[in-house]
Amino acid sequence: MKKVLMGNEAVAYSLFINGVNVAVGYPGTPSTEVIETLKNFQDDDFYVEWSTNEKVALEIAAGASLSGARTVATMKQVGLNVAADPLLSLSVVGVEGGLLVFVADDPGPHSSQTEQDTRNFARFCNLPVFDPSSPKEAFELIKPAFEISEKYKLPVLFRMTTRVCHSNQSIEFEFKREKRKIKGFEKKPDWVILPALSYKKHMELEQKLQDMKKELSAYNKVEGRGKIGIVSGGISYFYVKEAIKGFEDLFSILKITVVHPLDEGLVLEFAKDKQMLIFIEELDPVLEEEVKLILFENGKFIPTYGKRNGYVQFAGELDVDKVRDIFHKIFSDRRFLAKNTFTDVLQTPKRQAQLCAGCPHRSSFLIVKYAAKGQDVIFTGDIGCYTLGFAKPISTTDTCLCMGASITMAQGIKISDCSKKVIAFIGDSTFFHSGITGLVNSYYNRHNITICILDNLTTGMTGFQPHPGTGKKIYGKEGRKVSIESLVKGIGIEKILVIDPYLSFAENVDKVRKFLNDEELGVIVFRRECANLKSRESYFKINQNCSKCKVCLEVTGCPAIDEDENGKLFIDSTLCNGCGLCENFCRYSAIEKVMVK
Amino acid sequence: MNDIIIAGIGGQGNILLSRVVCQLFMNRGFDVKSAENIGMSQRGGSVVSYVRVGDDVGPIVPDGRADILIGLEISEAARSINKVNKNSLIVLNDRFVRPKNSDLKKQRILKFFEENFPKLYIVNAHTIAFELNIPKAENITMLTLICKKGILPFSKEEILKALKQVLSPRMYEMNKILVEKIYERY
Repeated sequence: MKKVLMGNEAVAYSLFINGVNVAVGYPGTPSTEVIETLKNFQDDDFYVEWSTNEKVALEIAAGASLSGARTVATMKQVGLNVAADPLLSLSVVGVEGGLLVFVADDPGPHSSQTEQDTRNFARFCNLPVFDPSSPKEAFELIKPAFEISEKYKLPVLFRMTTRVCHSNQSIEFEFKREKRKIKGFEKKPDWVILPALSYKKHMELEQKLQDMKKELSAYNKVEGRGKIGIVSGGISYFYVKEAIKGFEDLFSILKITVVHPLDEGLVLEFAKDKQMLIFIEELDPVLEEEVKLILFENGKFIPTYGKRNGYVQFAGELDVDKVRDIFHKIFSDRRFLAKNTFTDVLQTPKRQAQLCAGCPHRSSFLIVKYAAKGQDVIFTGDIGCYTLGFAKPISTTDTCLCMGASITMAQGIKISDCSKKVIAFIGDSTFFHSGITGLVNSYYNRHNITICILDNLTTGMTGFQPHPGTGKKIYGKEGRKVSIESLVKGIGIEKILVIDPYLSFAENVDKVRKFLNDEELGVIVFRRECANLKSRESYFKINQNCSKCKVCLEVTGCPAIDEDENGKLFIDSTLCNGCGLCENFCRYSAIEKVMVK
Repeated sequence: MNDIIIAGIGGQGNILLSRVVCQLFMNRGFDVKSAENIGMSQRGGSVVSYVRVGDDVGPIVPDGRADILIGLEISEAARSINKVNKNSLIVLNDRFVRPKNSDLKKQRILKFFEENFPKLYIVNAHTIAFELNIPKAENITMLTLICKKGILPFSKEEILKALKQVLSPRMYEMNKILVEKIYERY
């Protein structure tokens, strides 16, 4: 059949066709759709789950692999940091059934804290890494990636970037699953990592990398015969191909799909007759450094252009026009300049991401902000939709570092700046991902902070995945529900408050103000379903009573409220979700409810 | 080669629309590639999709190369003008959601489009979707209107076929009624 598949979907289809038995991951853009797609497939020897975090996922994958199952653990690049501990050890221990670590990098970045490059991680933990350029190529590479993993008994990194993960391509394939028998766990001393064994296995690992080089080199290829050599890979390969249209005779391309370990033979053969080499890649200069090292070791000197000498940007994404700009800089040839008739004549300002209209977090933030008014307070934030609490006019997020850090950074701030009140905000999914250990620490070490768990009963930012607090498993089937309140009480914390942020704003502010009065460690759970999970029952409109005071807009910053060209306030009837938060701030009874038919 | 850009704000169904457009071209026997921004920009932020007919290209349309710009929202269409040229076909949904903290005016943007692009069409997909009581379906409303007016060369049957391939059965039934109503009434 022929189907348009998103890169992540292509990976999922190929994983299933190639007999993956266990698929685990934690959602994170741009990786989420791999598990989201896999959950639609069923077979008696196939299991899929959302795990509580990436470390948990990879360790489950490791256990399954040692039992002989084909497995995949999926995550985004910052998730790999969380899973780094098991991954580095696993590279030494080795695997049994094929184990792929699917990691989505995010040059740009579009929705991430860092622009880190997983190809560097592959060098760091001594593992092979596949770096496909398109959904179709990703589809085709899953099979060899499994085979390499099984042949050399090593995890294989399968790295893609946003523009491959989230681009779509028509792909023709036969949807037929390869059945494999799982042989089961076999006891072996090899599975217990101890220092002496680790040393021995490290030597084996280095040997394995040497052994697989030639075989992996088959996935790299040379195109064209021109004297100007371009080394590229991933999505940049397609930018190069489009940028040299009309000048193909001048160039040849070395497309590198497996950058680590890299075979010297192919590189030397390619470089043999080249006048110069240009390295076109996003993020770190990984191809550039690997290729240059090979050239140096073999006594070859060729002029090179890349990131190291400032021709290619380190940060952000590339595209066809940027690649043409690079060629223009190198050759001073105006034919490479983009023919752009219109630049941003209207100077359209950046549209800031913001909490949705009707988002319960907006209300929760404002309740805390009002309750803490007049006090010297620091608000620590975390990773999720609610990171947007930093945006004006909400402005209740002073720090954001990584998953779970709101709770722990709050403790650090309290220790060093003890005159201040410190309030941490964390979402439900993030709390289960890596908030719990921080909470235990605050109880154990007597750090008197307030922790607000913004529970919208889903993982909102990545598209509504279930988590332990929802009690629903990946297919929507019943799992077991973890109660946040019981968990907090179980640790020993007795000061707990549960609040519905949609109910009376004034009463909620009152309750929270009392709660903040004493300095004890305490937890407030703000619980209200994400506005996108329910169809709205009503929306609001502004009537003729409006005095144009704009308080509703200025306090809430709700995206549904705006003023028109005559300074008249209105509520966008398509965007409004009917939460009624704005109504609390109107002194003129100008905001009225409209029921949806 | 046909390069299409769809620009809008998060929540307008931009990505679904680009999927349907891909499917429409694929059903005519073309290979397609597309790209989209999702994630942080998903809700309330800018969303741009690129659809490219042809296989041996990257997913992003280079500057000045788009044949068609479909604007689900007017100021987002303006943001993508570096991707089009004077001969590009511009189709705008008559919907303006001002980026906060800007003094951007709808009329100023429309005037710019009118002055620079001979092939400009404005359709009232937003109003029609609201009238039909499915305000969230302005994406498919827009597509249906564009095809009905002959701006994109796809028949009603082709639209329904592509929707059936892309949407869940429940969503398909809803959108089928929408498409039928638009062909009847507008």
